[in-house]
Amino acid sequence: MLTLLSMFYYICLRRRSRSGTRGEALGSRRAVELGQRSALPVTVEVEQYAKEVLDFSSHYGSENSMSYTMWNLAGAPNVYPSSGDFTQTAVFRTYGPWWEQCSSAPQPFRRTPQNFHSQDYMELAFEEPVYPTAIDVLETYHPGAIVQILACSLNPFSQNPPADVRWEVLWAGEPSKAMTPQARQFSPSIKQISFATNLLRLEVNSSVLDYYTELDAVILHGVRERPILALYKMPIIDISDLSDSDEELADPGLCCRHAGDGKHNHGNGYFDKLPYELIQLIVSHLTVPDLCRLAQSCKLLHQHCCDPLQYIQLSLQPYWPRLSDASLSHLQSRCTLLQRLNMSWTGNRGAVTPTGFSSFMKACGGNLVCLELSCCHFLSEACLEVIAQTCPRLQELNLSSCDRLHPQAFGHVAKLPRLRRLILYRTKIEQTAILSIITFCTDLRHLNLGSCVMIEDYDVVASMLSARCRSLRSLDLWRCRNLSERGLAELVAGCRLLEELDLGWCSTLQSSSGCFQLLARSLPRLRKLFLTANRTVCDSDIEELANNCPALQHLDILGTRMVSSSSLRKLLQSCSQLLLLDVSFCSQIDSRVVQELNSLFPKVAIKKSFTQ
Amino acid sequence: MLSVLSYGRLVARAVIGGLSQTDSRDYSLVTASFGFGKDFRKGILKKGMCYGDDACFIARHRSADVLGVADGVGGWRDYGVDPSQFSGTLMRTCERLVKEGRFVPSNPVGILTTSYYELLQNKVPLLGSSTACIVVLDRQSHRLHTANLGDSGFLVVRGGEVVHRSDEQQHYFNTPFQLSIAPPEAEGSVLSDSPEAADSSSFDVQLGDIILTATDGLFDNMPDYMILQELKKLKNTNYESIQQTAKSIAEQAHILAYDPNYMSPFAQFACDNGLNVRGGKPDDITVLLSIVAEYTD
Repeated sequence: MLTLLSMFYYICLRRRSRSGTRGEALGSRRAVELGQRSALPVTVEVEQYAKEVLDFSSHYGSENSMSYTMWNLAGAPNVYPSSGDFTQTAVFRTYGPWWEQCSSAPQPFRRTPQNFHSQDYMELAFEEPVYPTAIDVLETYHPGAIVQILACSLNPFSQNPPADVRWEVLWAGEPSKAMTPQARQFSPSIKQISFATNLLRLEVNSSVLDYYTELDAVILHGVRERPILALYKMPIIDISDLSDSDEELADPGLCCRHAGDGKHNHGNGYFDKLPYELIQLIVSHLTVPDLCRLAQSCKLLHQHCCDPLQYIQLSLQPYWPRLSDASLSHLQSRCTLLQRLNMSWTGNRGAVTPTGFSSFMKACGGNLVCLELSCCHFLSEACLEVIAQTCPRLQELNLSSCDRLHPQAFGHVAKLPRLRRLILYRTKIEQTAILSIITFCTDLRHLNLGSCVMIEDYDVVASMLSARCRSLRSLDLWRCRNLSERGLAELVAGCRLLEELDLGWCSTLQSSSGCFQLLARSLPRLRKLFLTANRTVCDSDIEELANNCPALQHLDILGTRMVSSSSLRKLLQSCSQLLLLDVSFCSQIDSRVVQELNSLFPKVAIKKSFTQ
Repeated sequence: MLSVLSYGRLVARAVIGGLSQTDSRDYSLVTASFGFGKDFRKGILKKGMCYGDDACFIARHRSADVLGVADGVGGWRDYGVDPSQFSGTLMRTCERLVKEGRFVPSNPVGILTTSYYELLQNKVPLLGSSTACIVVLDRQSHRLHTANLGDSGFLVVRGGEVVHRSDEQQHYFNTPFQLSIAPPEAEGSVLSDSPEAADSSSFDVQLGDIILTATDGLFDNMPDYMILQELKKLKNTNYESIQQTAKSIAEQAHILAYDPNYMSPFAQFACDNGLNVRGGKPDDITVLLSIVAEYTD
């Protein structure tokens, strides 16, 4: 015992002398000496702002802009401690329950684990890898969205990346809403990890927030040397840590315990008496990792857990850090009846390769109806070709934020004639590909072309839609830069069943041409209309909506100076189903008017954002 | 004989080579600003680089030093729009662009174009218009790149003489080129020039060159010879002396602006155009005075 203590003391002294000689002053960082007990060495804590935003799932602003875009998270804060809706912050594309209420929203996947709440994410790289001691997130507007913080063992700036990449959860929580929309510094207590990191990932869920959450900066506090575990503070061993390696998703087929050859297996107790379907029903409530673990317990349960009927819907998104080619190949044998697959966010940094994905698709894609591949950066043109070949029944395809996908790859999507829901938000799809898709996929119900900056002429696209996709129910043209009243007129003439239309930030539409009035008259089923930052929306447009669109539920007219409270009152009276009305930055609608309307129409959430 | 000639050639080449040896040091601009808002705002209550409806910025990046001035068009006040909002936001956006490195030093018009585009991305419906003048010093290449839209401008003074100056861009008398965002109902009738209409120029600068960037409040009240006189008093290249000189230039222009009998350049130009006026031109005055010096961290 004494020798152990003296050894420990000796090691501490050695470390102290070593860290003393290595100390250097770096210009941009403040070194704070953590005063600890004299027996333990003095460690230098380093604070860093994010150096670069590497990846993210969505943002409010335009590509190539610095207003309301994710790139604002890098560097020092611009706004904090002020609160308000500022251009210099990072804002996500959605908030609240509104998008989930729309018919264009995807059906939720079964077996989603209770603790997976993430809707969006962003990945930040810092200059220097450190062992994190604290993380501060400066939220400047409607805080409370952060639900998970993870750290990666990979250094994104290193020339030769290691083969294995580990992601460790530093903190996880529920989506929350702060008492006021004011700025705050969010500093959750994070777990100690065993590796140095300079790559953090923040996952958010804004579904309980009243408006868009805005983030200004992220500060990573850490120490350069691995902190010695204090004897009085044991690290918390998380049971889920034990399953951190790919055990359950990698080798599910291995450990079948045979009772012995030739001997009939009687050892399953009551399970032998239960009918097959009942055990299937019981097992259908397990999450995917549990299902895989259960498969290893005995032969009977192995048979149940590997039954393809358990894998008709499969969501691998919550397990994105652990999914790899090996996992896919092991799941292959069970997924032959797969109909709905969610692989969003998976496979980055080489975990899944196009070859691995293609072979999985070839084996399991035959019955696929829904395929979610949001932010899957491993996708290549070959993958889309394989999808087009092996999934003839595909109805839903989500390629949101697959911005590294080559424009030529989208041509293959046109080979899926049964497509009903197609999400191409923030992709690089070009004019010819989208026209070809519209020509062949005439069953399209939901189409999202938000922030598709490579499409040159949206008027032609709109005209084509009105000719070919007459059953279109929802269309998202967020930030389409050159839709004019001609294209809009053709669109509403042809697609009469439109229920949702997002024309946010489409600055080329002028109300004076009568296009919005025509829109209101042509689309009686309209439920959602976003005219965000179209500065020309006026009273007559609102009145036409009031007269013609009784089903209206969501309306966003942010930033117009020409709408008065009287026309809004008419709208609120006529559209009894209205749930969301965003009148932020409408100069004629001040907070007094909003309060008055709120009291008269309590069911409607009237949003008025502010900058100060 | 031949060897003497070849030897002479060698020596000549070495000498010429030595003379034209490019300076490998980085240059930078030491800049000070001063100004006065028109009427009541005496410039001392400087609201973050805004003087009345004028605004300016000074920014540094790894590769370049950038300055800018913008003169908000006062006519918007009659329509209930604060003219300083547009010019101020334009300059602050340019500053942010520079600090984040989203620019190319040899393309100052690009800074204006991107900045104007960013103004349109603001949720807040900005209204107003302003002129703009951007000056970029590329530290390594020692070249000054400028972009000017409207009647603000710059002078480059070397050895007591003006060696470069910007040209005023006017549509007609007292109506300069301007960037603007108009309310939709007035879209056709409000003057709105594209950022691409800005004049641009590039030239080399030397150590000790003085660059004066200012709005028309200065140039309309002080002719060149008066400005040069003031600049002669600049002995040092440290910030305090530059600040002092900028202040004295601005103050002098401010005094002249309110002198009813003084034949200002503005009055001279008006007379040339058939308008019989005399005296200075009360206006917001913004002066950015810079000296090209060696780069120190």
